Amino acid sequence: MAVSDQIVRWRYRLVPDHLLGEILTKRWVDNAIPVLILIVVAAVFGWLIPDFFSAAGISSLMRQWGEFTLIVLALMIVMVAGGIDLSIGSTFALGNIVALTLIAVAGWSVPAVIAATLACGALVGLVNGVLVGYLRLRAFLTTLVTLIIVRAVVDMMLLKYSVAIAAGFVDSDLWYYFGEGDVLGVPFSVATALVLALVAHLVLSRSRAGWHVLAVGGSRRSAHNVGIPVRRVICLTYVVSGTLAALAGVLFASRLGGAGADTGVGLEIAALTAAVLGGNSLGGGRGSAAKAIIGAIIVMIMVNGLVRIGVTRGGSSLLLGMVLLAAVAIDVRWLKNRHKFLSKVYVSPTYSELPAAPATSGASPYALNDRLRPVEAIGLGQIDGPEDVILDEDDHIYVGNRTGDIVRFLAPDYTQQELFVHVGGRPLGMAFAKDGSLLVCIGGMGLYSIGRDRSIRKLTDETNRSWFSIIDDSRLRLADDLDIAADGRVFFSEATVRYEMHEWPVDCLESRGNGRIICYDPNSGTTRTVVKNLLFPNGICMMHDGQSFLFAETWACRVSRYWFDGPKKGTVEVVIGDLPGYPDNINRASDGTYWLALVGIRTPSLDLALKMPGFRRRMARRIAPDEWLYPNINTGCVVRFDETGRIIEALWDFGGENHPMITSMREHKGHLYIGGILNNRVGRLKLDGMDPAWSGIDSYWRRI
Amino acid sequence: MRLIKTATLAAGLALCGGSLHAQEGIDDPTRAPYYESFTGKKVAYVPVAMGFDLTEGWAAGLKEALEPLGVTFDIRDPNWSTDAGAQAITTLIAEKPDVIVVHNPDVQSYARLLKKAEEAGIYVVQVNMRSSYSTDVFVGADYVGMGQQIGERLVEVCSPAKGGSGKIAITQGVLTAAASIYQMQGINNVLSKHPEIQLVSNQAADWDATKAKNIAATVIQQHPDLCAITGFWDVMDVGTAAAIKESGKNVYLLTQGGGNRMVCDGLENGTYSESVVYFVPGQARDMATMIKQLLQLKQPAGTTKTTLFTPLTFLRKDNMTAASCWDMPTKG
Repeated sequence: MAVSDQIVRWRYRLVPDHLLGEILTKRWVDNAIPVLILIVVAAVFGWLIPDFFSAAGISSLMRQWGEFTLIVLALMIVMVAGGIDLSIGSTFALGNIVALTLIAVAGWSVPAVIAATLACGALVGLVNGVLVGYLRLRAFLTTLVTLIIVRAVVDMMLLKYSVAIAAGFVDSDLWYYFGEGDVLGVPFSVATALVLALVAHLVLSRSRAGWHVLAVGGSRRSAHNVGIPVRRVICLTYVVSGTLAALAGVLFASRLGGAGADTGVGLEIAALTAAVLGGNSLGGGRGSAAKAIIGAIIVMIMVNGLVRIGVTRGGSSLLLGMVLLAAVAIDVRWLKNRHKFLSKVYVSPTYSELPAAPATSGASPYALNDRLRPVEAIGLGQIDGPEDVILDEDDHIYVGNRTGDIVRFLAPDYTQQELFVHVGGRPLGMAFAKDGSLLVCIGGMGLYSIGRDRSIRKLTDETNRSWFSIIDDSRLRLADDLDIAADGRVFFSEATVRYEMHEWPVDCLESRGNGRIICYDPNSGTTRTVVKNLLFPNGICMMHDGQSFLFAETWACRVSRYWFDGPKKGTVEVVIGDLPGYPDNINRASDGTYWLALVGIRTPSLDLALKMPGFRRRMARRIAPDEWLYPNINTGCVVRFDETGRIIEALWDFGGENHPMITSMREHKGHLYIGGILNNRVGRLKLDGMDPAWSGIDSYWRRI
Repeated sequence: MRLIKTATLAAGLALCGGSLHAQEGIDDPTRAPYYESFTGKKVAYVPVAMGFDLTEGWAAGLKEALEPLGVTFDIRDPNWSTDAGAQAITTLIAEKPDVIVVHNPDVQSYARLLKKAEEAGIYVVQVNMRSSYSTDVFVGADYVGMGQQIGERLVEVCSPAKGGSGKIAITQGVLTAAASIYQMQGINNVLSKHPEIQLVSNQAADWDATKAKNIAATVIQQHPDLCAITGFWDVMDVGTAAAIKESGKNVYLLTQGGGNRMVCDGLENGTYSESVVYFVPGQARDMATMIKQLLQLKQPAGTTKTTLFTPLTFLRKDNMTAASCWDMPTKG
């Protein structure tokens, strides 16, 4: 291996390029930017102001943070439903003045004051809600107008009551408790905000009402089409928003008791900045209480920090405005480009060097021939993509198809077919268990068992999660082929954990060990991953020693043997290391050897490209997927080999005239039945010199 | 011989030099404790906002007086936001400076916080606009008295007996600010005794020149024979003056403020007719003096309550001199 190849190999072995794409697929990555901003802001102010994060410094910030968070939560709920509420600042001021007037001038009791104030806020919200939700006015303009109207009402009340409020004295410990009291050591406003944030989180993520809100924000039309009362939902978000803003006003009134004219002025901008900065999308449909909290913390730190640094004359407003602008820009760009970016960076090829391909001509055991010419077609044009083929004791043929059915061709002439079961997903490898039930690997679903009575039972659809995997690898994306050990344990391959069923050829571009072999133990009901980091593990076939199985790694062009029992338990040994094509399913032959399907033959161009990960990455980023260099999966063959890896024979259809596209084959009573994942038939070939009485079921379960 | 004498004397003087020096003066015994009481002290200043004559003037005066003594002077600018100001004070209570100088946006909002600050052992000095809670020191105008004087002055200018229309208007600042609330009390005290004077408008412009201008313009339209407007702050009354000028009417504008050069210029060019001046550098000096006293006496915060009312001057074009107004010290 050349030095440059070595460098490339180590470069791709050491740098985990694929993690970037995997991180971007996560929903929590939406919170990553806000958290990053939070860390930066905290670091900057912590550095500028020596004791900024002292216990005392933080506790002094908390109380205001509680009120502010309520406002941000209010705005978040409206934003999630696709609206915007600019009137919250005024509603907050209204809550403040109403509460103060009622308590200090009218002398109401504290509970009555709170109820009346919240009702006031709800009323403002209702006005917004009716105008925006039912009359379908533009949220921005409508709430801008209510902002002004409510502010005018506040000014009128100030004119009338402010002097009386200033002169009045409230003699109620309960009233001051809201502004000054603690609940379990945290300020009352913080406790209120946290409880309401938790409620908002549960409602948005776990309840029907919350899902309706998210649905309306995500797509108003679709929400309407599925029967969600869009208008009512929108209206209610404004009512909730108004109520929360008024609640914040009550807390503010209790804390300061001041009927100042500047109460809540510009608060909507600060709240909007916080909401957007936290990652709540202006377009709706994306937002959470956690995001609101993060945003509120960032803005709070900034505003307080700027005052403490001594920035004067509107400097803090200027900065806040610029931050809002930046946050909106990030929000828009992020939403727009995330998927684009993700699709560009998700495919992350790595270095893979295949051994030289053996010849397919002359004296080579792989030499081309026409032995598949006599293959008869079963169900030609009636079956779509039989990846695997299996036959039962009564010689019926079972195959899966692309639309999620398992179809049965009836013996003896196989002209009649019937729908055996509909399982959904993509049925791939199959095997009969000892009790006669059919075990199927279903792409996109997992491992299923189908009883003789056609009952469908899920065996497993998840395995243990790897500790340091970013993508959730506990779910089974692409269960591919299986085989069953004598004690009933099922070993099945999962070809890749990074791609879905329909993208399986893209995995070859990466040629990273994305696949694994998993063991399902029906005795304990557990599922564990047994071999990891395989290059598209595909066919699995039990060996006759009862302690090991053969498995094919498609993109590595090799067949290996894994011992799951006995003295060599846990070891892997390569049986055939240099196949001329991409191996697929492996099955037993009647004479104790094994059949192997090669789904396609290697090409020098792709072999070379596999050694050039940079080239493949550029290809994946710059050109359309249709134009990518893919492995050839059209022309292949069937080979037979023994357990030492010696190739006994190869069956070709030279020129692909009669039976191209082979992914599996199954010997049954002197015939070879051939399946292909992109084929439209099942092939049947009469075998000369093989045991005409041998069947797979006998071989596995009768020990002949 | 003479030379020898002189030389001997000189030598003697040189020998006894040390003791002779000691007899030249004695060390002031209060000097060391004086300076000691200031080193490392912290004074924090929370105005309603920076960027105008009063707050900048106080800041400059305090800085000038305190910083040479080794006192750290720290400005927290809430920029017209009561909430940000409350937040600043809350933070300060946690930080525990030695003195907080507060300029209250209204009589209520900071009251409880100031009480807490005193309870935390911080001296609280309130300047010009006080809170309903009295702290260690208040330095500022006697607004009730000032209101009475203004009321009397308005009666004097506008009384129908002297040919005025008797119609006056008042433009307050923030209604709940001390400057508005106490001053109205004073003005009302006078006006209640003068039924011939008619208060046609009494509104709040929230210290905002634009609002003041709108209010004045409306009032002048409603009452073309308006005699006088009194506004509660000269910076805000720039707007009132503009409205009067636009209307072309002869309305007497009685304003008030810190006596910055701008006011003298305004009186000179007729923007204002008269201004009640509380001299800002004097207030700054009063505050500095009180802070020095507090820091030297070392009594617990809140022990004594001192009020220092600032002397008021009624400045008109005809009685002002070059020294009537002060200039902002140039920065740096």
